[in-house]
Amino acid sequence: MTTQTVTRPESDQTLEKKIQRLREVYATGPEVGKTALEKVLGELTSFASSTRARVESAGRTGVRQGKVSELLFITPFAPGGAERLRALLQLRDGSFDDTDRVGTVHDMRFVFLDNDTKLLFATAYDGEWDPYIDDFATKITDQMDVIFTACEGWPGIRSPKVKDWIANHQIPAEGWYVAHPDLTVRDIHRLKRIGKAVDEFLDQVAG
Amino acid sequence: MATQTATTPQSDQTVEKKIERLRQLYADAPEVGRAALETLIGAMKAAGTHSGQNASQNVSQNETSAGRAGLRQGKVSELTTILKLVPGGAERIRAVLEAGRNLRIADKVGTLHDMRYVLLDNDTFLFATTYDGDWDPYIDDFATIIPDDLDVVFSNCEGWPGVRNPAVKDFIVKHQVPASGWYVGNPNVTVRDTRKLEKIGAAVEEFLEKIG
Repeated sequence: MTTQTVTRPESDQTLEKKIQRLREVYATGPEVGKTALEKVLGELTSFASSTRARVESAGRTGVRQGKVSELLFITPFAPGGAERLRALLQLRDGSFDDTDRVGTVHDMRFVFLDNDTKLLFATAYDGEWDPYIDDFATKITDQMDVIFTACEGWPGIRSPKVKDWIANHQIPAEGWYVAHPDLTVRDIHRLKRIGKAVDEFLDQVAG
Repeated sequence: MATQTATTPQSDQTVEKKIERLRQLYADAPEVGRAALETLIGAMKAAGTHSGQNASQNVSQNETSAGRAGLRQGKVSELTTILKLVPGGAERIRAVLEAGRNLRIADKVGTLHDMRYVLLDNDTFLFATTYDGDWDPYIDDFATIIPDDLDVVFSNCEGWPGVRNPAVKDFIVKHQVPASGWYVGNPNVTVRDTRKLEKIGAAVEEFLEKIG
């Protein structure tokens, strides 16, 4: 048995047990997975100790990595809702300057499921669940209602029930990866400006 | 691919028609949506003279195709797949994550902005990601850089042929559901661009400290 050090977040024993359990659940699975697991297990220990990988709660629901959180919900469309939302999205043609104004959204997708009977909405955003929803509700109130009235039971963004409605339909991710977990949308905007200024500066120095 | 020129993609007349159609569709919508739509149309019309200009300035913001399937905005694309799990599949995926095989491994690929695993009703796997560039090279990158990690996860899905199998791309496309709407906060910055910008930012701070 190995001696545990104080700094180690998990004992080797726990990790060993988890790997053991992993082998057990994979034993009954497809061959391609079983083979791949053995190859991956070789690297497992080094990744397990990486603290940067910690996934935390995004607040009320959903998970967060560093500063970036995920929100995903699936909800049935109201009658005619899919058609309305599709027409709206076609008119927008990828233009969401209202969402730019919120300033905390990394990305956001609208996916129509099961022959236009359900909407999947998924987004990556900065910070915590509650202030994020509040931001949307105060900054682009009508835009929210125009979009989400497509969904069955949408109470309206001004309704005190709207947060419960969202939380009830949200499905938190089991796994969440963010390439730059320490950078918010605004941080990246700022870095872009710095990068541009540096380019100009270097041009001037060279010229 | 050629860069789009600064032409207005649609005439105002077409926009008028689209608004008309929206009004018709929203006539049956819940009151909260109908009222909100009118407010927005009013705001759009007030800003109407600028819309052409905005469209040409933000031409890169418009949705384009990510290649074989999915939408792209600027340099950033979306992929969403929904797959039926084999018996025990959900349990195995959870065990992999619990054992610490976290998704940080995707750093190696270098073109992923974000990625999520969602288990639906314990029998369906939803995989959604945001990535740089076109569909084909993205899948190739995954398949060559972290093939075993892909197999460990996706072998839990019904019909997964194995990442080394030539049928794998068709399998993915078949289960991909392209988005109908797609927004990216910084559409012209790739994961690698951001890394570079981060370094420049740090260097500038150091520089300013030295001269300050």
